Amino acid sequence: MKNIEQVCKKIFKLARGVQCEVMAEKRDSSLTRFADNVISQNVASSALNFSVRLLDGGRSAKMSFNQADDATLKHAVASGLEILKKQKKDPALLPLAKPRPIAPGKNMFDRETAELSPSFRAGKAAELARACGKTGQIACGTVDNGASELVIANNLGLFVRHRDSSVTHSVTVKDHDGSGWAEKTSHDVKNIDFARLNETARAKAAASRKPRDPKPGKYTVVLEPQAVADVLSYMNAYSFGGQFYNEGRSFVCGKLGKQVLSPLLTLEDDAWGAAPGMPFDFEGQPRTKVTLVERGVLKAIVHDRKTARKAGTASTGHALPQPSYFGPLAINLAVKPGKDSLQDLIKGTERGILVTQFHYTNLLKAQTMEITGMTRNGTFMIENGKVAYPIKNMRFTQSMVEAFANIEAVGSEAEFLQGWGYISCPPMRLSGFNFSSATKF
Amino acid sequence: MFKLASKAIEVANKHKVDFGDIRVVEERNQTVAVKNGEISALTDQTTLGYGIRVLYKGAWGFASGRDMTERAVADTALRAIAIAKASRLLMRGRVRLAHEPAYQDFWQTPFLKDPFAVPVQTKLDMLFALDKTLRADKRIKVSESEMNFMREHQWHMTTEGSRIEQVLLNSGGCVTATAVLNGESQLRGYPCSHGGQFLAGGWEIIEAMDLPAHADRVRDEAIALLKAPVCPAGVKDLIISGNQMALQIHESVGHASELDRVLGYEESYAGSSFATTEKLGKFRYGSEIVNLVADATLPGGLATAGYDDDAVKAQRWHIVKDGILSGYMTNREFCGRIGKDRSWGSCRADGYSNIPITRICNLSLMPHKGTTEELVAGIKDGVMMENNTSWSIDQRRLNFQFGCEIGWEIKNGKKGRILKNPRYQGITPEFWGSCDAIAGPQEWRLWGVANCGKGQPGQRAMMCHGSSPARFRKVKIGVHG
Ligand SMILES: [Zn+2]
Repeated sequence: MKNIEQVCKKIFKLARGVQCEVMAEKRDSSLTRFADNVISQNVASSALNFSVRLLDGGRSAKMSFNQADDATLKHAVASGLEILKKQKKDPALLPLAKPRPIAPGKNMFDRETAELSPSFRAGKAAELARACGKTGQIACGTVDNGASELVIANNLGLFVRHRDSSVTHSVTVKDHDGSGWAEKTSHDVKNIDFARLNETARAKAAASRKPRDPKPGKYTVVLEPQAVADVLSYMNAYSFGGQFYNEGRSFVCGKLGKQVLSPLLTLEDDAWGAAPGMPFDFEGQPRTKVTLVERGVLKAIVHDRKTARKAGTASTGHALPQPSYFGPLAINLAVKPGKDSLQDLIKGTERGILVTQFHYTNLLKAQTMEITGMTRNGTFMIENGKVAYPIKNMRFTQSMVEAFANIEAVGSEAEFLQGWGYISCPPMRLSGFNFSSATKF
Repeated sequence: MFKLASKAIEVANKHKVDFGDIRVVEERNQTVAVKNGEISALTDQTTLGYGIRVLYKGAWGFASGRDMTERAVADTALRAIAIAKASRLLMRGRVRLAHEPAYQDFWQTPFLKDPFAVPVQTKLDMLFALDKTLRADKRIKVSESEMNFMREHQWHMTTEGSRIEQVLLNSGGCVTATAVLNGESQLRGYPCSHGGQFLAGGWEIIEAMDLPAHADRVRDEAIALLKAPVCPAGVKDLIISGNQMALQIHESVGHASELDRVLGYEESYAGSSFATTEKLGKFRYGSEIVNLVADATLPGGLATAGYDDDAVKAQRWHIVKDGILSGYMTNREFCGRIGKDRSWGSCRADGYSNIPITRICNLSLMPHKGTTEELVAGIKDGVMMENNTSWSIDQRRLNFQFGCEIGWEIKNGKKGRILKNPRYQGITPEFWGSCDAIAGPQEWRLWGVANCGKGQPGQRAMMCHGSSPARFRKVKIGVHG
């Protein structure tokens, strides 16, 4: 950390009065991957990357590098300044951000989690694989852990930093023609119940054996948290950011303040909430809590400084590293949980489909948030309030604006998941969900 | 660099590893982009570091570092060995690598003009001029013009005695226009969207694209799409052209033929493959005119190099021959599982910090005969689609659904009005089996895929897919929610 501060100071000195911002990210990560009941890959990396943005009266350049010796710094800044010199002025370019007070974030760092050993990870993989081997199941997945530190500083006096640790246990179990999945991520390894995750994935794999052929069509669906998070993340990225909004491409355009989605849906972005993260954005500006959807009414979108200026408002503290294709993005999303357990959601379904996970989702049309994707790792038919039998996977092609208007119930147990950022998401039951075609397994 | 690298080999040999290698990689990546009259990206990134891989008593370990001292290299090698020891906790048999001779060689991408020597302002001037053309109509709400250049300098040393230096160079660019009206948006790009067209080579790649000659058309077609009728749903004949054919090859053949994935080693992330090993040499993947060739020697290919990251020399081989599944993308670890004593050489790593994994090589649909006009003439009721906008395929690479930028109605052998939101869906072997015509070599061209994601931790790779427009019979077209 001290080292990073010193590098920043050196860079500011080299910038000689030109506005200069440094983003430094140090990341140590290790991952043990297993498949076919053996460890297939076991890796560790340690990286430190610097990005330097230089701004001078409407001119800009960004230089990135991962070596911090004097020669590299000198060369990077000098070539950046050279680019500035020849550039035409861009009157729309924003100057650098001034420092603003940042409230402390939630603690996201745990040393033990950051430093889990290769033998700890291999041991966790082995526990699952040995259990699977005994019952003819095949274990695949990962155990990974690491830590990262982010510093954003500029020569207007801004200096912010955040560090976090992470651990994820992801399990996919194959059981002949059945498959199951479970995953949990946390900043603290004590929050990961390895045995329970293993059991969930194994039980689901066993239960999804001998799947029947379903008929594509419209169904009531019970989506488990990961499936909800997958499509909701798309909706967030393409709809609730200031850039797509300003460009008229978001479905939210012209509908702020209107009841468009189900009254059961409340969606917030809060770095201190159920899906916490760093308390500032990638411009070093304080994150603010933004309610995007309140009981189905579209309430707000998020901004960085650039999109805020175009929209005539203030940044909400949601900048991504620049340049960003998506513009600003909410990355600490939380869906307000409802009252029903997952079992209750199933119980209240006369006929429908239970979806564990979606695979390879992609946007077809932003105007209606029409998305396609496949079901994966455990898809079941529900009949008369009970999981009746497993079915083969299907492709959905569905407007998510319509789907989230058709929420029948929101579950009470939210999961903390990694999406495009973090998302805390409960299961949901939706009606009239369109499965457009089938596949062979 | 080889002097520094040899420290890792020294440590690996001292610990009597079965196999060890180090790749020192220096990368430079420059992006220059203009959006709506403003610079949206002007970035220049360099990274330097090394990745060390060891196979110790039959188990893998990998560690990477960026501290360019002998001491740090030695420590990183020891870390890789410690990780390999942990891997031994859960193994079935010893991993063995297929034999490959040792090489001492230098290879570099042929190019005419170094793109990094072209002044940034020259690039910006060109992009601003393109941007002005794209925005000449107010209905264009988003105009994007961009260029991207990547150079990767690798020094690869193995405990087997290989010492390979390679310099790979890629250049890419595109213009795209998005017309927006009443919340609906329509995108058109040239040569394609998704960050543009990439090929191996230098500034001459950008010059050959001749972006200024296409900007007016891109703008006008984006606007025309707003008012165009929606591509109707139904079972119809389909002609695929532009980069959509690259995506079709990439998703339904490329990934399906990665042997690690076929064997279940990618199950926890991207999935597996229906093209299992007992089908090799027997399974009908497509019609008899379907020939798909993997080629690491292909001029202009993004996956073209002298050697892969397993230190295997570049090769050319069939994945599908006369419609039959005939090969896989392999590395040295898994090729023995299909009875091959030598890898086809398609194992690559993203940068210095990742372990080499099995990747899609350049993979192309071989041309057949005739022209696109002749393909059209043979259709009573169909659609021609160009350039991908949306892609999705199931975890065994069977059920796919694609969306394209633009479609043209085909009625009674004639190409007619344009159609918006064209989409089609199919099942891989049935779909390739319905291919009854592929245009000839005069229409064959290469398309780059610059952002292929795979693996955990996620890695990016680049490759090309060559093709001519092709015709498919009785395809499910126009799927809507
Ligand atoms: Zn890919």
